[in-house]
Amino acid sequence: MLSAFDANWSLMTPEIVLLVLALLIFTIDFMTGIKGSKPFLGRLSVVSLLITAVLVVFTNNSSGFIGEIFVVDKFAMIFKLIILVGVALVITISMHYLEKNPDVYQGEFYSLILFATLGAMIMVSSVDLITLFVGLELLSISSYCLAGFKRKSKKSSEAAIKYVVLGGVASAFILYGMSFLYGLTGTTGIITIGRELPQLYVDYPYIIMMSLLFMLVGFGFKISIVPFHMWAPDVYEGAPTPVTAFLSVVSKLAAFGLVLRVFIVAFHSTFNEWAFILAAFAAVTMIVGNFIALTQKNVKRLMAYSGIAQAGYLLVPLAATVHENATMSIIAFYGVAYVFMTLGAFAIITWVTESSGKEDLTSFKGLFYRNPYMAIVMAVFLLGLAGLPGTAGFVGKAYIFIGAIVGEMLWLAIIMFATSIVSFYYYFGIIRQMFMSEPNPNDGELKAPLGITTIVTVAVAATVILGVIPGIITSYFNSFNWFF
Amino acid sequence: MVPIELVLALGAILFCIGLYGVLTRRHLVIVLVCIELMLNSVNINLVAFSSIGPFANITGQVFTLFVITLAAAEAAVGLAILIALYRNRESIDAIKQDLLRW
Repeated sequence: MLSAFDANWSLMTPEIVLLVLALLIFTIDFMTGIKGSKPFLGRLSVVSLLITAVLVVFTNNSSGFIGEIFVVDKFAMIFKLIILVGVALVITISMHYLEKNPDVYQGEFYSLILFATLGAMIMVSSVDLITLFVGLELLSISSYCLAGFKRKSKKSSEAAIKYVVLGGVASAFILYGMSFLYGLTGTTGIITIGRELPQLYVDYPYIIMMSLLFMLVGFGFKISIVPFHMWAPDVYEGAPTPVTAFLSVVSKLAAFGLVLRVFIVAFHSTFNEWAFILAAFAAVTMIVGNFIALTQKNVKRLMAYSGIAQAGYLLVPLAATVHENATMSIIAFYGVAYVFMTLGAFAIITWVTESSGKEDLTSFKGLFYRNPYMAIVMAVFLLGLAGLPGTAGFVGKAYIFIGAIVGEMLWLAIIMFATSIVSFYYYFGIIRQMFMSEPNPNDGELKAPLGITTIVTVAVAATVILGVIPGIITSYFNSFNWFF
Repeated sequence: MVPIELVLALGAILFCIGLYGVLTRRHLVIVLVCIELMLNSVNINLVAFSSIGPFANITGQVFTLFVITLAAAEAAVGLAILIALYRNRESIDAIKQDLLRW
């Protein structure tokens, strides 16, 4: 049994440091008054995320356990790094957004994002149902607040209430599934559950399946797969744009980490039972996400449906697992590519929608003539999300495709290929607006602020480099065991 | 001693009532109450397993405490958002919140 004195608490260093820094930023926010812009808090948040990322690299390099509640392995380390880099980019986007929206209360925005990040970090490295749930709720409750952060906006409050209600129902589903898992094993440790599950599945197949399905419904809400996706477009449209970026990247990848941990570690022995269920969900998600995106006029809604489709792609390797290390390499590579492409696109979307004051696709009209660099870079991100060769998105999709064929799910690979072709159409909708149509006569040259230019350049460099020489990280991803 | 099936059935019934309420009620306060009902059905399950389950131990009750705490946090945030919504829209009828669709 775990004794608080024997446990190796130093494994939690990055989380503890991030918690302290987040509380510090919270306190500085109180001390500097209610009104006014506070860009220094944003810079401080970016610095604290980078400190945490460095600590993750140095202290989480080897694997270790704190009892059976908290684990540090390669899986946790890589996912934490992806999350931290993603949040740092999101905060840079938010600094531009908050500058344009002085009515949004500034200090709490940053500390809430940091608390959500902490929740995401705990989620990906917990091996206990309780810890996992606490991390999930820390992320979710912070996200509810962030979604409703534009207090005076009707859309923002509506998005927040929809998110709270549906998120609460999803949590209840997850917990109801967990309660049966606890009842049958008498423990909440995922590793012990994974060890006892083969025998339990012989004794109580229906209860185990029911518990798995309940948890899958709840997780499906969090990663927004069809048919549990209906909250996503509404919340993404109503929430402030940086929060949309946060939800579609950080929150989704952290929830994916949770799904992978639970399904690969705890439910590994029943793979044959859930592989087809996940494959069916992935197929429906890819089809519905990509086809509904065709009809969208609002750019944030379009990105929401695109994000739903991407969640479908990410589920494919899990459904077609042959070996868990190979699956994890594929998913992690796509995750890295997804972070850079999506956040790059969201940086430009935030900048364009905030300067034009509307969120229609037409706000991109003639962007090429107003700022050629940004238009070309945006085209790279969109083509990367669609999967054009030469970008990280193509390599990621190629790996998923090959993985699906190796896992003997040819039909899934074909659906993925076909829906990817469909996705070119709606991404080209934005590209057509930027390049093919003249700008409105009174729209002059549009200057991009330094912060946006910086992250966009970083993201485009990553997208292209990973697309041309993917070996630099895949050789690393293939060189170790992901789970302890 | 009460057989565990009865207690689990109570939990399942509560869960269904809660879910039904969330899906059909129009008043958002009632919807939040129904979510609490769903979470409480989980608590009943956990406590039942922890006292008369096949592997009865204290972990389930600890889990219950966490669930209660987080449910309270979620309700607090939910009610705060509800007030913000009421100030903006002058209504907390679920049907009337229809700015965001498709």
